[in-house]
Amino acid sequence: MAMKWRFGLRSKLLLLSSFLFTIPWFGYQYVWEMEKYLRYGQEQTIIGTARALATAMHERANLFNNQASFLPSVEKGKDLYSYGLSAPIQLDGLNQDWPDFANKAHFYQQNNQLYSQLTPEQLSINFTAAVGTYGKYLYLYFAVIDDKVIYRNSNARSIINNDHLELAFINPQGIFSRFIISNKTTGWIDAYRITDVENNIPVPAKKIQGHWRDTPQGYNVEVRVPLTEFNDNIAFAVHDVDSPLGIVEASLGSADPSSADTLGTILVPSPEIERIVKGMSYTNSSIWVVDQHHRVLATTGNIKQANGVWNKRVNLDNKRDKNADINVIYSAWLSFEHNILKPLYEKILTQPPRNFIDQLYDSENLTGKHIESALSGEPMSQWRLTTDQQAVVLSAAYPIFIDEIVKGAVIVEETTNGIRTLRNQALEKLFSSILAIMLLGALAFFLFASRISNRIRTLSNQAEMAIDEHGRISGNVDTSTTNDEIGDLSRSFSTAVNRLGQYNHYLENMSSRLSHELRTPIAVVRTSLETLAIQQQTKNTQKLTNESVDEIVNNSEDKAEHKNPYLVRAQHGIERLSLILTNMNEATRIEQMLQNTEKNVFDLAQVYNGCMHGYRLIYPKVNFLSNEMTIERLKVSGSPEHIAQLLDKVIANAVEFSSDENVEVSVKESSQQVILTISNNGELLPEQMSEQLFDSMVSIRTKHNNDQPHLGLGLYIARLICQFHNGSITAVNKPNRQGVDVIIKLPLI
Amino acid sequence: MSKRIAIVEDDAAIRENYADVLRMQGYQVQTYANKNSAMEAFNLRLPHLAILDIGLEHEYDAGFELCQWLRSKSTTLPIIFLTARDSDVDTVSGLRIGADDYLTKDISLPHLSARIAALFRRQDALGKPQQADHLLTIGPLTLDSQRMTIQWQNQHVELTITEFWMLFALAKHPGHVKNRSQLMQDSNIYVDDSTITSHIKRIRKKFNQLDVTFNCIETVYGMGYRWNQSAVEPTGS
Repeated sequence: MAMKWRFGLRSKLLLLSSFLFTIPWFGYQYVWEMEKYLRYGQEQTIIGTARALATAMHERANLFNNQASFLPSVEKGKDLYSYGLSAPIQLDGLNQDWPDFANKAHFYQQNNQLYSQLTPEQLSINFTAAVGTYGKYLYLYFAVIDDKVIYRNSNARSIINNDHLELAFINPQGIFSRFIISNKTTGWIDAYRITDVENNIPVPAKKIQGHWRDTPQGYNVEVRVPLTEFNDNIAFAVHDVDSPLGIVEASLGSADPSSADTLGTILVPSPEIERIVKGMSYTNSSIWVVDQHHRVLATTGNIKQANGVWNKRVNLDNKRDKNADINVIYSAWLSFEHNILKPLYEKILTQPPRNFIDQLYDSENLTGKHIESALSGEPMSQWRLTTDQQAVVLSAAYPIFIDEIVKGAVIVEETTNGIRTLRNQALEKLFSSILAIMLLGALAFFLFASRISNRIRTLSNQAEMAIDEHGRISGNVDTSTTNDEIGDLSRSFSTAVNRLGQYNHYLENMSSRLSHELRTPIAVVRTSLETLAIQQQTKNTQKLTNESVDEIVNNSEDKAEHKNPYLVRAQHGIERLSLILTNMNEATRIEQMLQNTEKNVFDLAQVYNGCMHGYRLIYPKVNFLSNEMTIERLKVSGSPEHIAQLLDKVIANAVEFSSDENVEVSVKESSQQVILTISNNGELLPEQMSEQLFDSMVSIRTKHNNDQPHLGLGLYIARLICQFHNGSITAVNKPNRQGVDVIIKLPLI
Repeated sequence: MSKRIAIVEDDAAIRENYADVLRMQGYQVQTYANKNSAMEAFNLRLPHLAILDIGLEHEYDAGFELCQWLRSKSTTLPIIFLTARDSDVDTVSGLRIGADDYLTKDISLPHLSARIAALFRRQDALGKPQQADHLLTIGPLTLDSQRMTIQWQNQHVELTITEFWMLFALAKHPGHVKNRSQLMQDSNIYVDDSTITSHIKRIRKKFNQLDVTFNCIETVYGMGYRWNQSAVEPTGS
């Protein structure tokens, strides 16, 4: 039979323990939830930071007093933004000391023409200009592309009949000034003030310094102007002259410098705001302050370091781990965690990026929904991905009010890296400890289940072994000393088996007990009958001597006909009853005798040959088919008398059931045992009875023989004798279904 | 003078039946139902023969105790156990404490009276000189059919009446096989085959106590037993 897979205790417990796997899921959910709260917390913190910073700037109008702040709109190229330069500029006409020149410069071309509007074909000039602040100076850089560079004639009095630059400011005192840079050659510039002069004679302006450099395409001019010279209105223009002492053919510029009204504006980042903002630079955030035109007034912090306030705590945790006391198991676990789990976690969990690129903002203009919202008076925070999709940035914008009008906004940004690191660490810790707990738990569960199922299996095996296939008690169930349910079960099994055994024993001894109990009443009846018989006899013969009694006894058979026939029948009956009793007792007597019999080694052949010889005499009508057994070869340990008795019983049985007076006895021997097969042709065994046949008081006789009582003890005795010799006896129907084989197996010495 | 027989038996019907039959045969019979009444009577006067049951009323082993007590009073008094208990253990212990025979209750009355008569005959014969015509000598074995005694190599072998009859039946015709039913008939008992086997075993054991090499009683498997004279002759010559 194929082993069928069973849903055993062990598998059930394993299934149940699989519910443990929901714990990490809950843990995971919990950590996510926690992260959500942390993010919410960070959002609140960052808005708080923005609010605090904005609060510091509310109603401080002097921070926003430049004109641009009041403009309804700003125009690129005209309203200039002065970058804070990070390094001093050497006035040499070269732009390599301007950081990030290409991004900060503005390209002026056809549509920046100031007076005459030439077509692109006619226009032979364009230029790139950059504005920056360093220290107390405003730096301007012009890279002019001009097909013909015309210098001021060395003798010319005019300063405008050549290629020249014009600057115009309104200074803090409100005085409008215009300056012309008109060089005779390359090198230091010659700057002249042309407003507020007598007789229209330009006055050299010493405060404006710079360098004019020739380039293959045209010329570069680098200029610096002290910040004190102007407030926030500025305009510059490049005038192109294409022939010596010619007139200006084209003018390109940021705004018309010719009058105070037409000037553009310049925004110089306010050092005041910068100071305020700097005070906030210790918050691990990146902070901007913008004006209402989104232009950056001040900035501090770097988004890449802006992890938020969580970062510090995370690092503290790491440090503590390293200082943990060293325990062998703990350190083994740590190394396992470090070598196997950590790389795994790094694969599974998204690690906060160390490097990411965020180009959302250029340094001049900040855009974004939150800024729009803040500039319209509503604080707002938003989550966004960096432009390379690597990191999540949280930004908050808070409006700055001056006279209830939004004048700018504070923008605070942080990455969620801190939270993410924190979350990752929480998840790692959670998974590591849950893994450890589950491993131990599953192992414990498995061991427990194995132990339980082993115990139950042992018990079940024992219970199965205790009662053999014939329902006989063949052993005891060991009582378990364990004080639990299985122990109880084992004990009750043991008790049950013992009781069953006692009951079986009682049944097996029943016949002997019965015979014993019946013996006395039968003796009463018998002695009474005999006395009666003797009395009758003496009456008949009228003799009353001792001798005559003997004589009567000896001759009772002959004189039976003279007796009272009822007495004779009663005596016959009682004799049969007595015979039954004797037979009933025989099994018990043999059992008792076997217990007291010592085993001797004897020659089986001698017994067998003798017996077979005897049977031929006892059953002269029966034809025995058997061979003489070779003597001195088959040695058996046991009692020869009982083996003879065994053969008597089996042969008697075979003869009785034989239908054709043939009984075949064959002997097979192997190294270990001898197999005697006694077969006859006759009545078959009923299917289920073949084993029970050898039990006490089981008989399958269908025809009844009234002369001989049959109690089904013959084969039971045969079995007892076989068991005593460590052998076995079985009865099977012959393969050709014409009779029965009784097979006796006896172990050899 | 008629012999006095005492029957100690708690079952009144059996007791009276036995008593009646024995009285019919001319014996004086006294009956006792329990150990104490029997002992009181035996203290006054011992019977010539005692028939004892083992279990008396509530005392399980009263018969054994009574037998021991009687044996201590008289070494020659014939004692017969007549009981329903037929286990080997009881038989052996009954004979060991000095009973002359151990019979089960399914013995027929004629067999019982034959045995009683034999016991009295033997007792009477012990007082008389040995008569040569009752002697049967086969090799080292000497049988006295009158006194029912046996000598093996001139040593006395204690046998019960049953055993003597059995041995006598075998030794009378050396070499002849006697099957179990023949042996039963000769020894005036009717028992099952295994009881015969244990009787034979006991006889062999008694001889073996005197002579370890004794093997004259041979089992012929499937048939019975015979006295094998040839087995003893090499040692005898």
